[in-house]
Amino acid sequence: MAKLTPKDIDSKIAAGLDESGDWIKVGMSTCGMAAGAGEVFSTLQQEAKKRNLEVRIKKCGCQGMCYAEPLVEVHCAGLPDVVYGRVDKETAIKILEKHISAKTLVNDNIYEVRTRRQA
Amino acid sequence: MCSEHILEQLKPIVEEWKGKEGSLIMVLHAVQNHFGYVPREVSLQLSRLLEIPLARIYEVITFYNYFKLEPPGKHRISVCLGTACYLKGAPVILEEVKSILSVKEGETTKDGLFHLDVVRCLGCCGLAPVMMVDDKVYGKVSKGQVMEIVSKYGKEG
Amino acid sequence: METDRKIILLADTEQSQQDKLRDFYTSFANQIKDKGLEDAVSLVRASDIGIYGKGFAVKILPRGIVYTGVKESDIGAIIDASVKGQGTVERLLFSEEPKQIRIVLRNCGVIDPESIDEYIACRGYGALKKILSGMNPAGVIEEMKKSGLRGRGGAGYPTWMKWKFTRESQGDRKYVICNADEGDPGAYMDRSVLEGDPHSVIEGLIIAGYAIGAGMGYMYIRAEYPLAVERVKKAIGQAYECGLLGKNILGTDFSFDIDIRLGAGAFVCGEETALIASIEGKRGTPRPRPPYPSVSGLWCKPTAINNVETLANVPYIIMEGGDKFALIGTEKSKGTKVFALTGKVRNSGLVEVPMGITLREIVFDIGGGMLGDKPIKAVQTGGPSGGVIPVDQLDTPVDYENLQKLGSIMGSGGMIVMDESDCIVDIAKFYLGFCVEESCGKCAPCRIGGYQMLNLLNGIAEGSGSLEDLDKLRRVALAMQRASLCALGQTAANPVMSTLRYFEQEYREHIVNRKCRSHKCRSLMTYSIIQDKCKRCRVCVINCPVNAIEGDREKGFFIDVSKCVKCGKCFEVCKFQAIAKE
Repeated sequence: MAKLTPKDIDSKIAAGLDESGDWIKVGMSTCGMAAGAGEVFSTLQQEAKKRNLEVRIKKCGCQGMCYAEPLVEVHCAGLPDVVYGRVDKETAIKILEKHISAKTLVNDNIYEVRTRRQA
Repeated sequence: MCSEHILEQLKPIVEEWKGKEGSLIMVLHAVQNHFGYVPREVSLQLSRLLEIPLARIYEVITFYNYFKLEPPGKHRISVCLGTACYLKGAPVILEEVKSILSVKEGETTKDGLFHLDVVRCLGCCGLAPVMMVDDKVYGKVSKGQVMEIVSKYGKEG
Repeated sequence: METDRKIILLADTEQSQQDKLRDFYTSFANQIKDKGLEDAVSLVRASDIGIYGKGFAVKILPRGIVYTGVKESDIGAIIDASVKGQGTVERLLFSEEPKQIRIVLRNCGVIDPESIDEYIACRGYGALKKILSGMNPAGVIEEMKKSGLRGRGGAGYPTWMKWKFTRESQGDRKYVICNADEGDPGAYMDRSVLEGDPHSVIEGLIIAGYAIGAGMGYMYIRAEYPLAVERVKKAIGQAYECGLLGKNILGTDFSFDIDIRLGAGAFVCGEETALIASIEGKRGTPRPRPPYPSVSGLWCKPTAINNVETLANVPYIIMEGGDKFALIGTEKSKGTKVFALTGKVRNSGLVEVPMGITLREIVFDIGGGMLGDKPIKAVQTGGPSGGVIPVDQLDTPVDYENLQKLGSIMGSGGMIVMDESDCIVDIAKFYLGFCVEESCGKCAPCRIGGYQMLNLLNGIAEGSGSLEDLDKLRRVALAMQRASLCALGQTAANPVMSTLRYFEQEYREHIVNRKCRSHKCRSLMTYSIIQDKCKRCRVCVINCPVNAIEGDREKGFFIDVSKCVKCGKCFEVCKFQAIAKE
């Protein structure tokens, strides 16, 4: 990576976080990993590929709700951002099939719903 | 372990750290990562290579809980006795592990398969009580699950 | 498309009646169908919507209105008002400001911690750019002064003063150190920040270095946190590649390097002089202060040591301004504090709250109340150096001064919730035992005092204590507080002193009545067989390791208390709950 100039920093900040398209973030800190986030992450990757879904699977740090790990945040056009908790392999697949493909929220694992930041 | 063999293995570690200020603890970390503990012969060689008195090396090894002077068992079992785990029944888990393996904390089983340690907080308090085998963390462990967890590693040998 | 549909979330805020939530869901769904609205809405069951103890909750999106305490009979009214129309049912409306404010954790769980680009996109390194393109070190310190930020490692010393003193000290080299040797058993705030947003700490450390005139910084991290070490290592590498570390940062004449040093499992190394000794490659024993590290620290050079959370606040303060930061919190404690909320609370996790919030709000509004709805007994803050705060003080606003008045400390952020099944003597023993084990042994008050206090506590827990022991405990504690070399010894007695202050009665019960009301102190328990419940299956007889259970199937079985070693095996194996424990 090239050295940054002050201008580069300004323009990167102005551009903001790339949250375009559909994405899924998995909390991959120690507590998440202990609760099985690693398996959830690879399941999401494999199953999304199998289904040809255009969705980015990303890693992130601790969201704070350790009691509900593994946590998975889903951002999908037309729906509010949802944080699912206590996600296992089965729920991960449900998230892909229902939330991403069919655009309906998955029952019983919702821990937070955020109204969209941008319009 | 022959000394030439040790020298060979120590070379990259010593090269990285020699001459850097206050590097002894980092060197010991690298040694323990490599050998699993800090063998006596290694300390002797380190003393020579780094020109640090042997007494200083042992003074440091014995002060810090993290450094081991004995070879560890094949699998390391760590039972967390941090506050959250303690309140949620970690002492019972520890007793169970001890009784299954018939060792005390800090000891290795006779067959060298397991080493039992007590640790203070693995940082997974949300999942208390927690135990760890090698790098795998088991959360919300119940007394009944201990046998199941331990035997997983026993069978693989 | 789904876009125009309303989403209705249903949640049980008591979180105890999942079946009832399903019934509630079914009636809601039926009424929606009856009114012909099934195509206009989608109905979902949520596990948690951040509201607790208020019955069933209904949240309607995208408007975001929330109803609580909803009964089946209210469903019709809600559908008519807010699903069909744009109105509200005033009597059920729930509105509350969010209790958490995220400054330290602003990026945790948002960005990929292994991507410097994502950190920068969230205004990262903007503060570094800002100071390098027009703020002198004195200006940075002035901004920190305005913010009122105090050290988050425990003692709460103003950060700007630490920086100012280190800046003013004479020395050809100066150092900054990030103390990431999180030793409090039961706290993991620093780990989460290092794992979730390592660049914020690195940026804070660079800014600290600029402010005090240091060219070198160290991150001293617990070796027990391998993932945190790995992510910090990666982040430092990225910062070098981008020219944010190293020579001539961002094209200016400011140069700064960071290196990692690993701790090795010694709690005392959280104390700053011991930490310095450890970075120098020695045993981590503290030394008397003064001289303070700001005058003579690492390799006898002026050194500023800041904790992880303190440093993570710094970029925010520089970017947003000290004044804005100072709007949050109380008069003397500004900003937010991250706590690791654990123990007998329903939602164990990390919370970041404004200073001045009450313990009750943290435990009940954020933590979701007590596990299993058992009554709360106390909250412990400050780890082994802190104290136990009883239930009647739960409405005290949390800040440095108030917690100290209550006999505890802010500490690094451990917050352990206890219920009636936790024995106060046992808790005191746990914390003191930790300090005795971790005492470096250099000074006598800590080495001997701690050991003696632990002996007294063990006696009390085993039923051989006397009332005089309570005075002895207080006397030794005082000696430790006054005469120990470092904070470990000076504060080691805090858990004992605070429990004696608020729960002396429980100590007395152990001593006088030989009773542990929480059934934790094994030696004080007696086991007996409840004859009415006993099915005479002999399972307990077979399992008793000392053959203390006598009798036969005709006459029934009895435990011989003189033989019983109180191991609890019989209690555990009995399938008929026929063993009584008192």
